[in-house]
Amino acid sequence: MAAVVSITGLTKSFGRSMALDGLDLEVSEGEVHGFLGPNGAGKSTTLRILLGLLRADSGTVRVLDGDPWRDVVTLHRRIAYVPGDVSLWPGLSGGEAIDLLGRLRGGLDERRRAELLDTFELDPTVRGHAYSKGNRQKVAIVAALSSNAELLILDEPTSGLDPLMEATFRQEIRRELTLGRSVLLSSHILAEVESLADRISIIRRGKVVETGSLEQMRSHARTNVAATLSDGAAGLTGIPGVEGLRIEGSRVHFSVDAGGLAAAMNVLSGHGVSALTVTPPSLEDLFLQHYGERGGQEQGQRRPQ
Amino acid sequence: MNGAHAARAPLSGISVTGTPLTGTLALLRHAVRLDRWKLLPWLLVIGIFPTVSYSVYGSLFSTPLEAKALQLSLGTNPAFSLLFGPATDLGTAAGFTAWRVQMFGMFFAALMAVFTVTRHTRAAEESGRAELLDSGVVGRHARLASAVVLAWLASAAVTVLVGVALMVAGSAPAPAFALGGAFGGMGLAFAGVAAVTAQLGSTGRTANTLAATVLGVGYLLRGLGDTLDDSRWLLWTNPMGWAEEIRPASENDLRPLLLLLAAALALTLLAAWLESRRDFGAGLIASRGGPARGTLGTWRLTARLNRGAFWTWGVVFVALGSVYGLVATTMSGIFNDNPFVKQMIAFRLATEEQLLFAFVEVLLLVLAFIGGVFGIQVILRFHTEEDEGRAEWMLSAPLARLSYVMPTVVLAALGPAVGMAAGSAALATSARLAGSELDTAQVVFQGLAEVPALWLAAAVALFLVGLAPRVRAGAWLLLVYWLLLTMFGPVLKAPDWLLSTSPFHVVPNVLESNPDWLPVLWTTLLAAALLLAGLAGYRRRDLMSR
Repeated sequence: MAAVVSITGLTKSFGRSMALDGLDLEVSEGEVHGFLGPNGAGKSTTLRILLGLLRADSGTVRVLDGDPWRDVVTLHRRIAYVPGDVSLWPGLSGGEAIDLLGRLRGGLDERRRAELLDTFELDPTVRGHAYSKGNRQKVAIVAALSSNAELLILDEPTSGLDPLMEATFRQEIRRELTLGRSVLLSSHILAEVESLADRISIIRRGKVVETGSLEQMRSHARTNVAATLSDGAAGLTGIPGVEGLRIEGSRVHFSVDAGGLAAAMNVLSGHGVSALTVTPPSLEDLFLQHYGERGGQEQGQRRPQ
Repeated sequence: MNGAHAARAPLSGISVTGTPLTGTLALLRHAVRLDRWKLLPWLLVIGIFPTVSYSVYGSLFSTPLEAKALQLSLGTNPAFSLLFGPATDLGTAAGFTAWRVQMFGMFFAALMAVFTVTRHTRAAEESGRAELLDSGVVGRHARLASAVVLAWLASAAVTVLVGVALMVAGSAPAPAFALGGAFGGMGLAFAGVAAVTAQLGSTGRTANTLAATVLGVGYLLRGLGDTLDDSRWLLWTNPMGWAEEIRPASENDLRPLLLLLAAALALTLLAAWLESRRDFGAGLIASRGGPARGTLGTWRLTARLNRGAFWTWGVVFVALGSVYGLVATTMSGIFNDNPFVKQMIAFRLATEEQLLFAFVEVLLLVLAFIGGVFGIQVILRFHTEEDEGRAEWMLSAPLARLSYVMPTVVLAALGPAVGMAAGSAALATSARLAGSELDTAQVVFQGLAEVPALWLAAAVALFLVGLAPRVRAGAWLLLVYWLLLTMFGPVLKAPDWLLSTSPFHVVPNVLESNPDWLPVLWTTLLAAALLLAGLAGYRRRDLMSR
């Protein structure tokens, strides 16, 4: 698969503060790429550089085989964007705003526009100042999805949407995928990324610290195991990769990395296992591996990657 | 609403029986804390300007005769009366100060009060700040009351500041506090006006515009009252006229202050009555829905965003021009009454026509200043789009930066020029209709001669937006500096090189046999250079994000 976005060694600073510090990111054609990180990690800055709104300090950035700073107009015909915090013109109706953006890109898909207004239950006659945050977000979503762009760049698109609308949004994004579009979805809503993204990049302090499909990430992350054994669990302590072992009577809890999983299972079966729960790491676990120990340095060192 | 508050109060355990004003004091404290840095510049500018003027008086005129001469020569030009009120007594420092700063002080004190009240009422409702506060234990009218009281306190502070500062500079107490009282009184009354307009408009901008319109109309009425024959009664029709009737330094009559105070109270009560007749967030002038489809592109969007400003300033241009034209007819009366003028004409130092045109020139300068405001406003409006995050969205479409900014550049170049043409044409027309002998073509020509200076003002704003957006407000300061320098520089005997830093000063008089257009050409070239630099900067810089 060709890359629609490829970034290597991107840096960007604002005055003294370093927003991006050697960021690498690659989005393949036809995938939803989840761009995960808390506020201030550098997600929006990255997206703005991809849109040519900000200029990179160093590094190479290619979008749809173009230079996002130099080839603004030609690239933007093929890209649609939903800002993180949509601000509308107070005096313009939502419909006028959608059509303005459509006109700038030389027309929009009329049928899709009508359909989207309907599914998102958006009233296009309301003036900008009277929309709620969620409805402003919908205006930008409708404008982006009714364009014929190949690449959708979405910056926390569902902030302010209620859970029902979030579900609608996911449905619409899946539909975009069937049309062959690629999506770069920045978010801090794990469930959204988990359910939509083919691949995920986790960004921390201006760097991508982990990237891959959820499965790949899981394979080198730790699995949580809980078991009830008929005799002691002495053998578990010797297995490489087992950590956080807790024994409460006949119950044992521990986590184990992929390399030690087979050995651990052997030990368990040798001790007469009568109940077993194996939980693969959730995205939240993966995320917390990079962020959860924000204060605890030692834990961070113990878990490289 | 009352029921809701009564139900909420016991929960918080503070008061069981809330009145409509419960919580006013708490809100007031909060408002003071929010506003201290916003009000300070107003207080300083309004408070210090009179003292500066008072202090330079001694160095200005070496003999009392010189002051008298200035008074007489100002008397030859009713434009000054129209703009700043009559110069009744320039023989004393206090009299000179009162004439020079009274209109400015009154105007700015009123604006300060208007902005303060709107900020804490309508604008707070609009931004959602008020909702948070109103859900606490506050009475129905508490927020309005706290806003008005804050503006009143600020107005009182202006009075005290002006009075004390002038006394420190050496003035007698009576004129010092009379001048301070005229400023403070305007603040009181216009806090009331803004309290009412905040109920009428559904946005802070509408509320401010309505109140400023009242102020502008008042300013015009009192100007006519000062200049037209037999129309002194016009002064009694509005707060600005009342404040002027205090006549600091010459009469020190504090009775009009009572009128201003009464107006302030009556208007505030009216506002409270209106407030209980509307819903939270809604104005009595309702905002309607819009069309479901749109056909806007960048050009029409720019037109749409500046539509309000265009028509507002268009009306101001034509209205001011027409009113100024009317005043031209009283010129011959003034020439006959004024012995100084009679002498000038007798000794062929000036013809009546020249004196008339000198009058027109000063008024055109005021129109030009408005044109400058309009141009800068158009440019800064463009930056607001970036500031509020809409430019980011627009530029995510296939739209180059230069194509995005171009409609704004064209509007900033043409809009003020059209306004200037319309204003000067209106001036000449109304003057001719009233029987004056002004030549319309000459007046319009003189008006258009100011246009390059307006371009320079707008170009400075664009230069800043392109290269140093954080200090873009500097364009306003520069415009004010140019106006003050051009209006008062010659009176204050500023050196030529200093006067020449204002593009308005270097505009030649088109009646001269050999007008010098070179400075105007330079102004135009400088404007073009700044424009190009600004555009290049805007194309290359990072878009500011929120």
